[in-house]
Amino acid sequence: MQLDYEKLGFKSGLEIHQQLDTNKLFCNCPFLLRKDEPDFEIKRRLHAVAGESGKVDIAAKHEASLDKDFIYQGYDTTCLVELDEEPPHEINSEALEIALHISLLLNCEIQPITQVMRKTVIDGSNTSGFQRTVMIARDGYIETSKGKVGIWYIYLEEDAARTISEDENSKTYRLDRLGGPMVEVVTAPDIKDAEHVKEVALKIGDILRSCKVKRGIGTIRQDINVSIRGHPRAEIKGFQDPKVFLEVVNKEIERQLGNVGKKIKTKPEVRGANEDNTTKFLRPMPGAARMYPETDLPILKISQQVINQAKKSLPMLRSDLQSELRKEGLSEEYIRMLFKQNKIEEYKELLEVINKPQLIAKTLLVFPKDIAKRKNKSLAEVEKILEDNYNGVFYLVKRRQISESHVKDVLSAIVDGKGLDDAIKLEKVDIGDVEEKIHKIIKEKPGLSEKAYMGLVMKEFKGQIDGKQVMEIIKKFVK
Amino acid sequence: MDRISGFGPVGGGSIPPAPVFKMKKSKAVPGDYVEVHLTRLIYEGVLLEVPESEKSMILLKLDNGYNIGLSKKDILEIKLIKRAKEEKSKIEIKKDPGKPNIAMIITGGTIAARLNPRKGGVDWLTSSEDLFKFYPELFEKVNVSRVEIPFMKASEDMDFKDWQKLARVVQKLLNDQQIKGVVITHGTDFLHYTAEALSFFLRDLNKPVVLTYSQRSIDRASSDANLNLQCSALAAISNIAEVMLVGHANSNDDFCYAMPGTKVRKLHSSRRDAFRVVNSKVFAKIFSSKMEILSEHKIRNKGKVKLDLDFEDKVALVKFYPGQDPDILDYYVKKKYKGIVLEMGGLGHVATKRARNSWTKKLTEVQKKGLIVCATAQTINGRLDPLVYSNGRELLETGIIYLEDMLSETALIKLSWVLGHKDWNVKEKMLENVSKEFGDRLG
Repeated sequence: MQLDYEKLGFKSGLEIHQQLDTNKLFCNCPFLLRKDEPDFEIKRRLHAVAGESGKVDIAAKHEASLDKDFIYQGYDTTCLVELDEEPPHEINSEALEIALHISLLLNCEIQPITQVMRKTVIDGSNTSGFQRTVMIARDGYIETSKGKVGIWYIYLEEDAARTISEDENSKTYRLDRLGGPMVEVVTAPDIKDAEHVKEVALKIGDILRSCKVKRGIGTIRQDINVSIRGHPRAEIKGFQDPKVFLEVVNKEIERQLGNVGKKIKTKPEVRGANEDNTTKFLRPMPGAARMYPETDLPILKISQQVINQAKKSLPMLRSDLQSELRKEGLSEEYIRMLFKQNKIEEYKELLEVINKPQLIAKTLLVFPKDIAKRKNKSLAEVEKILEDNYNGVFYLVKRRQISESHVKDVLSAIVDGKGLDDAIKLEKVDIGDVEEKIHKIIKEKPGLSEKAYMGLVMKEFKGQIDGKQVMEIIKKFVK
Repeated sequence: MDRISGFGPVGGGSIPPAPVFKMKKSKAVPGDYVEVHLTRLIYEGVLLEVPESEKSMILLKLDNGYNIGLSKKDILEIKLIKRAKEEKSKIEIKKDPGKPNIAMIITGGTIAARLNPRKGGVDWLTSSEDLFKFYPELFEKVNVSRVEIPFMKASEDMDFKDWQKLARVVQKLLNDQQIKGVVITHGTDFLHYTAEALSFFLRDLNKPVVLTYSQRSIDRASSDANLNLQCSALAAISNIAEVMLVGHANSNDDFCYAMPGTKVRKLHSSRRDAFRVVNSKVFAKIFSSKMEILSEHKIRNKGKVKLDLDFEDKVALVKFYPGQDPDILDYYVKKKYKGIVLEMGGLGHVATKRARNSWTKKLTEVQKKGLIVCATAQTINGRLDPLVYSNGRELLETGIIYLEDMLSETALIKLSWVLGHKDWNVKEKMLENVSKEFGDRLG
């Protein structure tokens, strides 16, 4: 069906939730999802609480009807704050700085005096019965192909606990995610059509990924607000993939059109995305009634000094960074991989040690995989061993104590457990060895092509040496 | 984690100071819906109360529910849009004649304090209606037939006069035939002192006297007050005629313990199960709907409760540390103190003759001047025994009264109570087990 969005009175805005890559927002625990067996469990219950003026918030009431035991799984990376057994600590200043970066990149005005709020949530996903959230900035915008789209608010808030299992009487959550910092970006309802929803989401996503945020599945979540003329707004929750936006938005419009026609009385509500991209009712839209101040924390003052600091450390936008990397002479493939593997920071640090973009990218992106494969180790293990050694290795490359072509051999020796000093020595011995062997091979089978010798040599060394260097040696002997 | 410093005053740094406007006087009061006019922007929202320390700003609740602050010097005008409506929702609590009646005494603390988010200030829960609104489950088992508020105080602001006043209220309620038991809600910090005072003040106890608390504020759905109050109601209608403290047994919202008033201490600053029994046993394990008796206790009876409120407040608790100058004791003598409880190390030791700063001589001297000196254990857990080491024997000879496994706080209250009775033999009375303050068998 071809939809005329303007005629329908289509209104849409996005709420984008992005996890930040730092410790938890109100304690010093790592924001680390655990797959191993939990160290302990606690059992809690929540009860409905009368909000301001004694009214139980309509959204909270809906959740309270679930009369359940909540089981929380904890680890050695969980503290009393996540257990709701200790007041929150001072706000994580790194998370605040990242939130300021995002706010500045979205052209927002920072809110210099603001208050951490408690948003009542009693589905058990927060041990406290509320989520802490604070407004950091407001009134920004982004440029899109269909004009400016306003950014209403930027909030910094706590992530919820993860659901592990649920039965009739109880629901089990894991505390590893609870309290992790998230930024919520709320756009104005300036979005023109379903295609535009996708563009705006991708654009904001790009800006978010320029900052110190988590990557991968589950680290970003989009909610879409959709309404057409004569129908209250519906919030569709829980998208991870902008590719499905088009279909979901259009199907929601069709649903709403159906309601308008039938004159069904409808209230604002929160809906969830189904697998087939239709939507289902989740709960009524929460009102402002369920927000009240976090009395355990002082009023948050974001001083000009802190804002200036954030401006100074403002990361480059991804698109700007890409063109800078291109200028440095890095191949498109490497640029793509550096972003994908989240190694831009590492790359830039090493570039300050030695100005060899291609070599550094190769070292970060290709060598660890090769070494892992050859040593039959996991990539994670190899990368963990190597990450502290890149600096030293490149320093020695700059001082010409390691040749460029032997960086991989040196790293390989380090993975074997050798110290950097020994790894260099090894390199020198090896080169002598290699030359001697190549010389022997050529002497034994004279008259072959360079390529053929190459094949023989590589076979002899089982691919453990640098081809470029082998070719140089072969050329030296084959006149 | 590195923390950025500089959460200081807003508007510092390199930005030139904003022009200071003289704000027009406003008719708006906290709770009103207002427009706040700045030079470039107008904000709408509900005006809130600001903390005493933040008088240079106003707080505003925006329509999205978030609170923000605005510096007064940037504000041109606060326009009143709509006065706050006093919403008084009347709740009717039906008394069920089939349910037992209990009385509640509200004294303050987290369990009775409620943030009013509409205005930003704190309200107290002061009536059965308020209690019902927040703790409807409490009323499932009992009728709260009386609510008394002798004072509203944080527990650190109380003194023995408050404890005496509280005891009088409790006595009156306990001697009312209609009431099965009393629940007292109280701040947590010094709750065990009140429990100890009531344990000595209330003689010939006939019914349960239950003290309870909350460590998490009651506005949150996770508040521990909910289970604590439900269990307290059960304790109040039980047969345990003792002063007891009822609260979470562990971090789970599973069950509470009923703990003897003289053998309990706050041992955690923030956890739900902050209170623990020391050197004794809990009376009972209480779930929201059942109760398991775990140790001996006095049984509910038809007698009348008597009061014995005599109290000498010139008594101090002194904690010894290595190297401490014993001359500190001269201060207490000079200030006419009648007794001190000295918290000692190990089995009951402070610096002796071999130390540079020996206490032996000074202890003898002050006791000769009439100061009563009692000894308790810094270790909290365990019993004193001055006979094991020569240092202990040397100190014992000075005349100190060693209080075995009695908690220091209990000892302070008991010594004050005993010294309030001029005709009592202090040593004899201090060593008599008046209200389960001594444990005969430590586990």
